Amino acid sequence: MAQQVEVSHFTAAFSDRVILNDVSFSIPAHQFTVIVGENGAGKTTLIKALIQTVLGAKTTGRGQSHHEQIRVNSQNLAYVPQFRDLGDDYPLSIASFVALGLKKGLRPWLTKTEKEAIQTALAQVDLADLAKQRLADASGGQKQRAYIAQALVQNPDLLILDEPTAALDANHALALVKRVRDLQQSRQIGVLWISHDTSWVKDFADDYLWLHDGQVDFGLAKDLPDHASSHHHQEVNHV
Amino acid sequence: MFEETFMQNAFIAGTLISVVAGIVGTFVVARSYNFLSHSLSEIAFAGAAFGFFAGWPPLLGMVIFTILAALAIGGLENAQARQDNVTSAVSALAIGLGVLFLALGHTSNSAATGILFGSVLGISHADILILMGMAVLVLVVIFLFYKPLRLLSFDEAGLLVRNSKKTTLKIIFLIVMALSVSISSQLVGSLLIFVLVTLPAASARYYQGSVSALMALSVFFALFGTWTGLALAYLTNLPTSVFIAVIEVGIYLVSIWLSKD
Repeated sequence: MAQQVEVSHFTAAFSDRVILNDVSFSIPAHQFTVIVGENGAGKTTLIKALIQTVLGAKTTGRGQSHHEQIRVNSQNLAYVPQFRDLGDDYPLSIASFVALGLKKGLRPWLTKTEKEAIQTALAQVDLADLAKQRLADASGGQKQRAYIAQALVQNPDLLILDEPTAALDANHALALVKRVRDLQQSRQIGVLWISHDTSWVKDFADDYLWLHDGQVDFGLAKDLPDHASSHHHQEVNHV
Repeated sequence: MFEETFMQNAFIAGTLISVVAGIVGTFVVARSYNFLSHSLSEIAFAGAAFGFFAGWPPLLGMVIFTILAALAIGGLENAQARQDNVTSAVSALAIGLGVLFLALGHTSNSAATGILFGSVLGISHADILILMGMAVLVLVVIFLFYKPLRLLSFDEAGLLVRNSKKTTLKIIFLIVMALSVSISSQLVGSLLIFVLVTLPAASARYYQGSVSALMALSVFFALFGTWTGLALAYLTNLPTSVFIAVIEVGIYLVSIWLSKD
């Protein structure tokens, strides 16, 4: 199977502190991969480097090694960031928020196909009935699903999510995992999911990417080492 | 009222300005750049004062000063300083310079009042042509960059472009804002820029849920205030800005009050 992500000799550092030291790994196409690791292990830094590569930025990481290379096989990448500071008076409806994801072309209004794509994306995250409701009035779980719908409406072949369940309780978090897993399988796309909570990884993910001590371990989700999740409870308390 | 040429000119200018302010204001309010828009108008004041001092048209001074300020603020955006502190420093300097240029240029009090509070009834046919050119420029730029600007204002986190492109987009946004502030100052003056650039757009947020509907209602509120304000100014012989300000603030307060139910 073709590789979706290939990283070789990647190093990332903030001032003097090296957070990822000469790491290399690859992820096959159409996989649900969970990225785990403690706070500050470099999870967000790594995906930002992947994203900038797809967007065509020339520099990747700190470029400390001449062999450093990042290759991401994606024509259409969508990203659900960890933080969205939209405010309590955010005026847009859920459907209009999802429509922001349609970025191609100059035409300011929506075509019939685009309207259908919005409806499909909303239905896939079970928000079709709430399309006209204000996003600001939605619950935490509904907001997360709206963020994912905005990513899905772009019809991505690679979907990257940064801690999408951080603000959700265990039941809603698991429901969101199952939904994204279903979408990943039905659409045959790649998913990179950053998560602190590793309780569901063995049941719903294909692979894991564990960032620790400047290194990266890649393996099948069912083989995720127990100590990869040992710091989970401690960190959640900080959130 | 409409048989007078100066009233015809005022209505044409007011309409152009309201359309631009309503559309750009929607982005400004969504991006929470209200305070920055006010600072740009203070910079516009300094630019106009410089125009009088240098013997240029005041609008030219405004455009040059606000665009330079927009570029400077855009450049400082990544610096280790809080944006509102940078902005307050820039506006303090701008007002100081404005006072200096007014004094150096021996500018008359009425000209200074015109800059600060607007002088739309004194607008000439040539002024309208310049305003029209600027308005068209702003609207064309917004059309060409509509989708990225929409994301930048309404969901910056969802704007997935490389960092260099994002900086360029932010600067384009600031320049559009600078031009709109300069344009709007012609009607309500640089002290009352909130009246057209932010209040109609802020009021519209209580009623509409899509970007295009927000823009349409914002333009409507701006036009309503401007047309009514011009008519009342003609009838009462009082300054236009007063009426536009009272109407826009009124719409805003009513909108808040209605939303409480």
